[in-house]
Amino acid sequence: MTSRFHERRRRPWLVRASAGLFLLLTACKGDSLPKARVLPEPPPAPHAEGCENTSADPGRVTLHRLNRAEYDATVRDLLGDTTRPARDFPADDHGYGFDNNADVLSLSPLLLEKYASAAEKLVETAWAQGTLRTCALDATHPEPCARDILSRFARRAWRRPVTPEEVDRLLGALTLAKQHGDTPEAGVKLALRTVLVSPHFLFRVEKDPQASSLTPHRLDGFELASRLSYFLWSSMPDEALLQAAEQGQLATPAQLEAQVRRMLADPKAHALVSNFAGQWLFTRALDSAEPDPMLYGTFNDDLRKAMRQETELVFQEFLTGEHKLRDLLDAPFTYVNDALAAHYGLPLPGSATPQRVDLSAHPERQGIFGHGSLLTVTSNPDRTSPVQRGVWVLEQLLCSAPPPPPPNVEGLPPPVNPLMTMKERMALHRSLPQCQGCHRMMDPLGLALENYDPIGRWRLHEVSGAPVDATGDLPDGAVLNGGADMRRFVKADPKLPACITEHLLTYALGRGTSEADACRVREISASAEASGGRLVDYILAIVLSDSFTSRRGDTEAQTP
Amino acid sequence: MSSTKRPLSRRTFLRGAGALMALPLLERWGSTAHAAEATLAPRRLAVFYVPNGIHMQKWMPSGTGPAWELTPTLQPLAAVKSDVLVISGLANDAGKPDGDGHHAAGTAALLSCMKAFKTEGTDFHAGISMDQVIARHLAQQKATRFASLELGNDAGRGIGNCDSGYACPYANNISWAGPRTPMAKEARPKAVFDRLFGGLDPGTTQAQVEKRRAYGLSIIDFVREDATSLQKQLGATDRRKLDEYFTSVRDLEKQLEALGQEGPACGVPVSPDDSEDPRAKTKAMMDLIVLAFQCDLTRVATFMLANARSNKVYGFLGLSGGHHAYSHHQFVPSNFDALSRIDRWEVEQYAYLVRRLKESRDAHGASLLDTSMIYFTSEIEDGNGHIHRNLPVLIAGRCGGAVGTDRHLRATGVPIANLYISMMRAMGVPGITTFGSDGTGELPGFGG
Repeated sequence: MTSRFHERRRRPWLVRASAGLFLLLTACKGDSLPKARVLPEPPPAPHAEGCENTSADPGRVTLHRLNRAEYDATVRDLLGDTTRPARDFPADDHGYGFDNNADVLSLSPLLLEKYASAAEKLVETAWAQGTLRTCALDATHPEPCARDILSRFARRAWRRPVTPEEVDRLLGALTLAKQHGDTPEAGVKLALRTVLVSPHFLFRVEKDPQASSLTPHRLDGFELASRLSYFLWSSMPDEALLQAAEQGQLATPAQLEAQVRRMLADPKAHALVSNFAGQWLFTRALDSAEPDPMLYGTFNDDLRKAMRQETELVFQEFLTGEHKLRDLLDAPFTYVNDALAAHYGLPLPGSATPQRVDLSAHPERQGIFGHGSLLTVTSNPDRTSPVQRGVWVLEQLLCSAPPPPPPNVEGLPPPVNPLMTMKERMALHRSLPQCQGCHRMMDPLGLALENYDPIGRWRLHEVSGAPVDATGDLPDGAVLNGGADMRRFVKADPKLPACITEHLLTYALGRGTSEADACRVREISASAEASGGRLVDYILAIVLSDSFTSRRGDTEAQTP
Repeated sequence: MSSTKRPLSRRTFLRGAGALMALPLLERWGSTAHAAEATLAPRRLAVFYVPNGIHMQKWMPSGTGPAWELTPTLQPLAAVKSDVLVISGLANDAGKPDGDGHHAAGTAALLSCMKAFKTEGTDFHAGISMDQVIARHLAQQKATRFASLELGNDAGRGIGNCDSGYACPYANNISWAGPRTPMAKEARPKAVFDRLFGGLDPGTTQAQVEKRRAYGLSIIDFVREDATSLQKQLGATDRRKLDEYFTSVRDLEKQLEALGQEGPACGVPVSPDDSEDPRAKTKAMMDLIVLAFQCDLTRVATFMLANARSNKVYGFLGLSGGHHAYSHHQFVPSNFDALSRIDRWEVEQYAYLVRRLKESRDAHGASLLDTSMIYFTSEIEDGNGHIHRNLPVLIAGRCGGAVGTDRHLRATGVPIANLYISMMRAMGVPGITTFGSDGTGELPGFGG
């Protein structure tokens, strides 16, 4: 039973198994095609045809409202405010797996009301701290200083040069204040509030020279600066980036690369961990995980926090270190504190804060599938869910998610006898003809992780006492024997780089990818892998692509 | 001056005193804002949404017409049975998804009766919801400071797919101002409270109020000009996005214009605590709806007990599995039992709102329940089969005589849009003869 996988013919097997899986992915129920996911599936072969001749359509990003994370980071960098005012805003909906999707980031009346009151508070606080006062307001001739304050502030807040006319309009607030018997200071504060409620602040504005032309054009320097800073920092451009934009120094690949490297070295790049990885790797779902306290009472908020930190710190290392991104699947290190180490059965690092530990001697904890965070959020409260775990792999790593189950069949049947393994129960479920096709691709991947319980502990027996059967039978008859086989299998899948690219590009642009992007996705992933396959290589390949640096106009609104 | 004994206005609320519960109506503040509608007393609508359907075997009342009897799930309504209308058999065919995604599609269509376009984001759209049709009508009358309140217990989860290729706004919003504009809901009672009552400083003078309004309106004028000039430089999709901004600016403007026009005084509220316990949170949200109605701050409120397809664990009911998982019951008795417990708890929360409204009086001295419609429903009937027909529907309150209560009305196969036409008419919206994709006219028997 041990390691049918290792013994012989490793490479031929991988090729065969991948091909077998791919066939099933494209025809999940046997005869009928899967219909659910709108996400396009990247073609499997690295050298698919047709890309040479396609016209380079960079697509377009809808007028992008700042989401809550972006608002908070922006006012932090603009005003030094770390109170995270957006916590009081309604939650942002998400699309294509990310809450920075411009199409679904709506602006409701409630939200504008919140923006208006946040602006007032932010300005009062910043004014009291003196951060905005670049000069002294003369009570009788306040205009020169007011002009200075407002033009500097609006340039940063609107992430572009402001025109003298715009500043003149803002100065109108001084007149209004005077009419109401207020000081020039009150007028300036009113104008500052206005800047923060303007669409130029709340939205990332990208203009099309010809709004209805489908011919691509390159973004102007300021628009590109904002794309960069909101991708890497979830925040506004800093002074260096704004100046680079002003001086036309975001034009060449070398200039862009230098900016990207500079920005990734900045602590603000942690936004990629909390906002990109938090959603791609589902770490964010940990907050709402509710393992059954009767069965899994050892799960508590300290563990919840330690699990989240583990995944964040590991991903952080991929951001700054030399690891290939695909090594996320089997990284031989992790970060645990004593509580989490005990939970995992690892030697205690002797610290309440997470420490980097070597996992050479603990292969079962290597890589993301050894993380309690992912294993917990892909489980049901009272049992593991090989299906959820399998779907996670297919959706987040291979972009090949199957359709959800048809009505009336969802759910696992109760065990016929108490000692049935999860695998046997699932086999029973799979015996329904309408379930068979899809489950043949999901189940093996999840079943191979059965040694991890619903809160990520290593186990040899299920709750019932039945011994764990962690073998997943692939459609072609090959067997994944446990997590290590499963990791190798997924890591070798040629769809992995393109799928990572697709998720990262979706996040970078704030829009879903479509068929039209398929070639671009393939080019980016090939280029990133050729440069070393690190996260920074992926990020650079995206930033240098036409999809990132260009956009096109829009014909009249389609009425789908 | 502000310390003398004069009728309490909203501006003179003392925060931190008294309790949110048991708010007596203190005094009516004569108001020009309300003089115009002396003829039609205010009517109110609250929507109480629960996810994943209902186990109907324990819900459906036995008799019909006035001879109906409470079932185990409806038992929490015993004290207000004569105020409740049960309607069975209504169908929302627009809630059926393309392929899978019944929860998101059903929820998007819940109050709009328009089919949600299947997308993860690009070109997402559904339809305007009936509560927003009513809110728009009342806003034209300048009836209240807030056109509507959107509340819910859940913020978004922020990961993965929401439902089989349907973007998350479909699953997280029942209230839609337009096909592409879901009305974001507030999920923190304290934030709701601050919005309703914050910024009311007892010492504020009339001059200060006027200045505040003038400053606020100057911001509005400025940013509207920004948006207008921007609009000319944008393509069609971007312009549509900017339209949301214009709509929101108009709403904010109306609120500013209403500053200083006092509504009736209504009590001495105290801010609720934020709790993630669904019991405390739901109760706080219900209290806020009562308060907002009583103070006439709004006449339209929607509440989502949880987002569509919620897999919340109701541990306090002795349950360890998730709600959505139970709803795919597969005819297993233990799952039916779990669902019934959840359903009954949901009806208890609804009954609490109904009882509180029955005990409370509005500025005209009428019972708030008598002037309201409190609507309970879910996006599907049965969670196992994702049935969009025979939806669970309750209406409590007579809405000023428009609703015939204490009955079980059978309306088998009738589009639920027809119920909404009747409800919109009951709320005074003129000229509604069709609604959604299949609403053809009023629901016979709605008025009794």
